[in-house]
Amino acid sequence: MNEIVTATERAIGLLISGDPGLWAIIGISFSVSLRAILIATPFALAVALLLTLGHFYGRRLLIAVFNASMAVPAVVVGLSIYLLLSRSGPFGDLKLLFTQSAMVIGQILLAFPLLVAMAHSALQAAERSAWETALTLGARPWRALFTLMYEVRFALIAAIIAGFARIIAEVGCSMMVGGNILNYTRNITTAIALETSKGEFAQGIALGLVLLALALTLNLLLNLMQGKGELA
Amino acid sequence: MSYSRRRLFEVELFVFEPGTCTLLSGRNGAGKTTLLKIAAGLLKPDRAIVRIEGRDFTWRAARPFLRHRVIYLHQFPYMFNTSVAKNIAYGLRQLRIPRAETKARVSQALEWSGLEELAERDARTLSGGEKQRVALARARVLSPDVLLLDESLSGLDPEARQQTYFLIRRMVSEQVAVVVATHDYELLRQLGDRHLILTDAGHLEDRSPKTTAAPSSHARAPNISPPRRRGQ
Ligand SMILES: Nc1ncnc2c1ncn2[C@@H]1O[C@H](COP(=O)(O)OP(=O)(O)OP(=O)(O)O)[C@@H](O)[C@H]1O
Ligand SMILES: [Mg+2]
Repeated sequence: MNEIVTATERAIGLLISGDPGLWAIIGISFSVSLRAILIATPFALAVALLLTLGHFYGRRLLIAVFNASMAVPAVVVGLSIYLLLSRSGPFGDLKLLFTQSAMVIGQILLAFPLLVAMAHSALQAAERSAWETALTLGARPWRALFTLMYEVRFALIAAIIAGFARIIAEVGCSMMVGGNILNYTRNITTAIALETSKGEFAQGIALGLVLLALALTLNLLLNLMQGKGELA
Repeated sequence: MSYSRRRLFEVELFVFEPGTCTLLSGRNGAGKTTLLKIAAGLLKPDRAIVRIEGRDFTWRAARPFLRHRVIYLHQFPYMFNTSVAKNIAYGLRQLRIPRAETKARVSQALEWSGLEELAERDARTLSGGEKQRVALARARVLSPDVLLLDESLSGLDPEARQQTYFLIRRMVSEQVAVVVATHDYELLRQLGDRHLILTDAGHLEDRSPKTTAAPSSHARAPNISPPRRRGQ
């Protein structure tokens, strides 16, 4: 018990003193996850729009597939990418395994189904009549699309926050394809796993607190956005 | 027009006469909504010829014109998630009309529809009847050639109905060709100059009380002769 208390005290000390090693790890987490969400969002929005407004064969099946793939565990995504990127794999020549790029790719794949599914349900809530109203009032199709997204902007922002919250807290995939290399691919979650296994509780607890604060903040924001969507 | 091979209707000729209010009736599922959406350029027919100022176009070629000059009003109008005034300004903004002129035209429309008091209200919080009036003002501000109302008058209280009738009559007197889809024969007495029925067999029949059918020579009205297709 005493050990935990002193470790926590040291953890808070690390955070307050601005320990450079600690903040480098936090920086890597943000850098990787922000890149992943920035790349994934436009494509996911395009797919969600297509699923909402398109009339094509297999649309329903595709929606079901995206919904189902939200449940794919991060380690399984990590395993797949590992196999693809490993030296004997089909993309081995790219030498991407154990790089930040590999982590970004993994997190894109993790966020994508969630983004598509949430954006799709947000857009559907706006009803077809929103789209038709914009068109009949003379909006060009591109403008009408923009109007449609603007109408459900809070729900779309909520989707992005939820996606970000998922990937920044994810550990399985980053561990497998990033390799947990100090100052390069060691992020918050993989650092916690490592430090704890080494018995270095202070740094683990410090990072855990950061992650916890982040998760709570993101969820608060998420609820705020969803509340705004409803009020409309 | 047909949905998944189920033949819906085969209309020979659907003429839009300026300054005339046409009632369109027909059983539930006869295809009134479908027909109106085709005429507004919102729904692709199997086959249709659109005649504008004596020239024939394919539906696809006529679509931009239809979307600009024909306005379709949903039974429950969609209100953009913003103020009443901004809802009315939506179409003008698409035309890139200068701010000052937009403002003037919006306040004129607000006055015309008796909505001045509600100008800054969140349009989503209005009552059904008020939304109808916003939708009419939002359409009129664009001075369309044709206005298509889809059962817009069902579910309104007597006073709201009278107000809406009055606004519709004013647009008719401004040489707009108005079509109202409805089951309500009371409307016919009060509003309709012409009465068309979309029959179960899928034809459009003229049931006007006394056909004063001096063929209209107003050239601006598009004559739409939608969907013809052999049933399967
Ligand atoms: N997207 C669609 N796919 C398949 N069938 C459709 C679609 N839209 C409409 N239908 C069918 O086409 C028929 C005509 O529909 P429509 O809405 O045009 O009828 P309506 O005359 O407006 O009916 P109501 O009086 O109930 O408003 C209905 O049987 C309807 O179920
Ligand atoms: Mg209908």
